[in-house]
Amino acid sequence: MSKTALSKFRQAVLQIPLWLYFIVSVYPLFWMVSYSFKNNDEIFVSNPFGLPTHFRYENYINAWTQFNIPRYFLNSLVVSTISTLFILLLALMFAFAVARMRWRFRSAVRTYMIIGMFMPLQVIMIPLAILVRDFHLTNTYGALILPYIAIGLPFSSMIFYGFLIAIPKEIEEAACMDGANIYRLFLKIIMPLALPAIATVAIFQFLNNWNEFTLAYILISDENMKTLPLGLLFFQGSYSTDWGAMGAVMTMASLPMVLVYLFLSEQVERAMTVGSAVKG
Amino acid sequence: MNKYLGNKSALALFLLPALILYSVILIYPVLQTVLRSFYDWDGLSTLTFSGLSNYRELFSDPLLATSLKNGLIFAIVLAVFQIGLGTLLALICADPRTRGRKILKTSYFIPVVLSVTVVCQLWIAIYDPTNGLINRLFDLLNIPYQQNWLSSPTASIIAIAFVNAWQFMGYQFALLYAGVKSVPEDYFEAATIDGCSKWRAHWHVTLPLMRETYKFCFIIAITSGIGAFVQMLIMTNGGPGTTNYTMTFMIYRYAFMESNYGYACAVSVLLVLISLLATVVINKLFDRGQTA
Repeated sequence: MSKTALSKFRQAVLQIPLWLYFIVSVYPLFWMVSYSFKNNDEIFVSNPFGLPTHFRYENYINAWTQFNIPRYFLNSLVVSTISTLFILLLALMFAFAVARMRWRFRSAVRTYMIIGMFMPLQVIMIPLAILVRDFHLTNTYGALILPYIAIGLPFSSMIFYGFLIAIPKEIEEAACMDGANIYRLFLKIIMPLALPAIATVAIFQFLNNWNEFTLAYILISDENMKTLPLGLLFFQGSYSTDWGAMGAVMTMASLPMVLVYLFLSEQVERAMTVGSAVKG
Repeated sequence: MNKYLGNKSALALFLLPALILYSVILIYPVLQTVLRSFYDWDGLSTLTFSGLSNYRELFSDPLLATSLKNGLIFAIVLAVFQIGLGTLLALICADPRTRGRKILKTSYFIPVVLSVTVVCQLWIAIYDPTNGLINRLFDLLNIPYQQNWLSSPTASIIAIAFVNAWQFMGYQFALLYAGVKSVPEDYFEAATIDGCSKWRAHWHVTLPLMRETYKFCFIIAITSGIGAFVQMLIMTNGGPGTTNYTMTFMIYRYAFMESNYGYACAVSVLLVLISLLATVVINKLFDRGQTA
């Protein structure tokens, strides 16, 4: 073997772990999707590992019509969308006040907000459940939306802060000269400038809110108010005998996020890992 | 200009909504938790000051030892699997001759965006003793190592921790990959020209320069191990018995199932203190390496 062929061979061997982990990472999902098209006999006996021989779409139709899936989807969509919009607005306003406006305690207030980033959520579970009860928010959208906004604020406002602090000072001077008041400055100049950061934070928060489980588990018990991660929990006990339908439910629940990710993979990865720059 | 940017009513309008919501929903509950940990309290009305008795009781609670042990195992599985294996994969993947990098990165990351419920349900099926993927695979390969994965008192905590490690591998991988990429190429080249083998060069050059990345990765792995909850809840409900308890599970049980709120608050405080301690220790360890 020539030297280049040898090094090519070594390079190929070296890459084997990457492809082995590729299988570990993807095959369970492939298995889930493929059993969503099978019946129990195929899953358990005749064809456990491979593609379904005959695509049983009826699993999907059954899952969609018999279970509460449309309701869970709607709840997740409402809760995630509203809380993400409010996080974006409130965090951007807060970051603008701290990064661009001139007043005495801004660095203290910024530090106060940063504390929230390091607070494990478990520590607020109990008082929050009681707070939600006392405000009569139990089993309403508000029970999730308000906490999700509050929890999203520290991280989001620090991302916005980092972005806004880097904008040149001349922006405000120009706006002031042109006679724009401070609200116009915020709406017409700062907001458009911050669009890249807004997109990043929006993706990050929407994903977080869409998949949030623990608080939803504690704060929501009404079947009609359950979000998708919570609703899925109860299939396990009730429908454990019909694996095909179970697979269909799980595939449908995963599809929106996987599609979003496949279309926006770089933005999603950047959004999810940007936390390391802030917290580290 | 100062007057323009010091507009008091604008300041109030921009600042207060975020500040009030954050204080009421995040900071106030934290203070409440700390305060209530010194009381006997059933969550409704009767508050009796009990000093440190919740804490004294906590330290003799056998569940605490189980929970700490499980948190530690969980953290170790995450660290070894995600950071150890992740580093290896990141180093190979960052090699410019590696093909299919985009496909690899994307496929590692897909589980991260899935709902934790879907992932846990999927792995319940994978771990299923008769029809699950793993035991079937062992069957197929004639390996006599079939287990009742989730109901074994010794293996289940590792099996459960692995699910979390699997789901968030892509996240740690993305951080590590970015870390490897951020090391200037010429450092690495200089080392190989000096006669270092590639792996020695990585060991002595690339990895030490990734200190900040590792600091963050370890903090994530260790604190999520200590605070683990959802996987246990969905996959085994803390069992068999109480073998898979973690500290968050204790909080959940004492507060919401046994209405022993004061005691659960004490567990929360201890959990935060341990998380903070772990963070400080990791920071110190990685910063000491810097000066040496």
